[in-house]
Amino acid sequence: MEYRTASDTNGKHVAEYQNGFNADLHVQEEEEGGRAGETETRSKLSTIQRAYSTVLTELGEDVDREGLLRTPLRAAKAMQFLTKGYHETTQEILNDAIFDENHDEMVIVKDIDLFSLCEHHLVPFFGKVHIAYLPNKKVVGLSKLARIVEIYSRRLQVQERLSKQIATAISEALEPAGVAVVIEATHMCMVMRGVQKMNSKTVTSVMLGTFQEDPKTREEFLSLIRKN
Amino acid sequence: MEQRAVPTQYAAGHGDPKKDAGSGTTCTGEVNGERTAATASSSPPPHPRTASSFSSSSSSAVTEGWREERTRSVEDNEMSRPGLTAAYRTILSGLGEDPQRQGLLKTPLRAATAMQFFTKGYQEKIIDVLNDAIFDEDHDEMVIVKDIDMFSMCEHHLVPIFGRVHIGYLPNKRVLGLSKLARIVEIYSRRLQVQERLTKQIAVAITEALKPAGVGVVIEATHMCMVMRGVQKMNSKTVTSTMLGVFREDAKTRDEFLTLIRS
Repeated sequence: MEYRTASDTNGKHVAEYQNGFNADLHVQEEEEGGRAGETETRSKLSTIQRAYSTVLTELGEDVDREGLLRTPLRAAKAMQFLTKGYHETTQEILNDAIFDENHDEMVIVKDIDLFSLCEHHLVPFFGKVHIAYLPNKKVVGLSKLARIVEIYSRRLQVQERLSKQIATAISEALEPAGVAVVIEATHMCMVMRGVQKMNSKTVTSVMLGTFQEDPKTREEFLSLIRKN
Repeated sequence: MEQRAVPTQYAAGHGDPKKDAGSGTTCTGEVNGERTAATASSSPPPHPRTASSFSSSSSSAVTEGWREERTRSVEDNEMSRPGLTAAYRTILSGLGEDPQRQGLLKTPLRAATAMQFFTKGYQEKIIDVLNDAIFDEDHDEMVIVKDIDMFSMCEHHLVPIFGRVHIGYLPNKRVLGLSKLARIVEIYSRRLQVQERLTKQIAVAITEALKPAGVGVVIEATHMCMVMRGVQKMNSKTVTSTMLGVFREDAKTRDEFLTLIRS
C-alpha cells in the first residue's frame, strides 16, 4: 500500500463510474452512507483532538491557559483540512470538464501554489507546480489541473510521489500525447529544523510521453516555465 | 533571602528598580501568560527570578507570571517522547492514513522529536543564553540587528509561523553581543506563540537585560494557518511592533529605526 498510484486511490468510485451505476441508487446510498459517515467523522475528530491535547501536555504547556483552550480542536480540524485530499477522487473533481477540441499544441498552467505535509515530520512544505500537457483531441478545464494538484497535495506526501501522482492522474484522465509536471518547493522540515537551510528548494519533475521522448518538447516546456 | 548572582547582572548599579528604561508601558499584564506546567516527570520547576526580584509591587506579580521562563529539561523531553509518539500515531490513524506503511513507520517518532524542537524555547532561559555578553561601552547611538529569520508555532492551530525580526535599541552605556539578540529571538519564538506576545517578550527581555534608553522590535511574518487553510491568502503578512522607552516617546527616533530597517 506504500505507493498510492492515481488509480489506486480512485478505487471504489472509479469502479462505480465505469460500471455505469444507476444515478438514483447512488444518491440514496450516499445519503445513508453520509449520515453514518458524519458520526464517524465526528468521532475521528475527537480522537485526533484528544491526541493533540496529549501532545500539548507532553510538550510542557498548560492546556488550561486561555490561548490553548480550544487548540486541540482547532489543530485537529486544521490537520483534517490539510489531509482532505484522501477523501477526494479525480473522477469527482474533473466534473466532466473534458472537452473535445481539435488542439494538439502544448498547454501549460504554471505557478500553481502548492501546500502539502511532509509525511516524515508532519511539517508543511509548499511551493509551485508547473503542469503541461500535449492534448490528443481532448482538453481539460484549466482549473481542473489545479484541482488535481489539490487532491494529491492535501495529503501526507513525499515530493517525488506527489509529482508522479499528478502526472499519472492527468495521463489517465485525458490520455494526452504527453504530460510534464515540475514542482519546486521549500520544505519546512529542512528550514525550521534539522539542517536549517533557509533558502534551499527542492525541485522534482515527471515527464511522460512526448515530453520524455522528445528533448525539444521538453526544452520548450522548461523554457516557458522559467521565470523571466 | 538567598543572594543569587543572576539578578544583579541585570539590576547592577541602577538605583530605581522600577524600569528606569523609561518604559512605563511594559508588561502591564494584559497579555496572557505562559504558565509553567508541571510535567509528569519533574517536580515543580524552579521559578527563575530574572530581573523581577527587585519589583515588589502587586502588578509585578502578574507580569512575573507573564514573563515566567519555563524549565523543561532534556530529560523531560526523553520522558515525554513515548507519549508524544503514541499521540502522533493516533493522529495518523485518525486522519485515515496507514501508520504501518513504509513511509510512515517512524513518522510518529520523527514528528514528536520535531515538535519538541519547535518548542525548545521552553527549555532555555535568557540568563543562560546571554552568557555574560553584556559589555560596558560608551555608546549611545542606535544599534540595529535586522532580518533575523524567525520560526515559531501558532498556538491556535499548531502550524508554523515564519518571518523576520528587526531589533533596534539605544544603549545606555551597556551593549549586548549581537548574536545574543538573535538568541533571545530564538528562545521566545521556539514556543507556541501569538505574534503580538512574541514581539513584546523579545522587547521586554532586552529591556531587562540591558536597561537601554529604548528598544524597538518589529516582526513581519507569514502565518501558515492563514495561507494553507482557512482564508488561504497566500501573500498576506502580519506585522507587529513594540516600541519601548525613547522609541515610543520620540517620534524621530522611531522614524530613524523604521527607515533603517526598511532599506
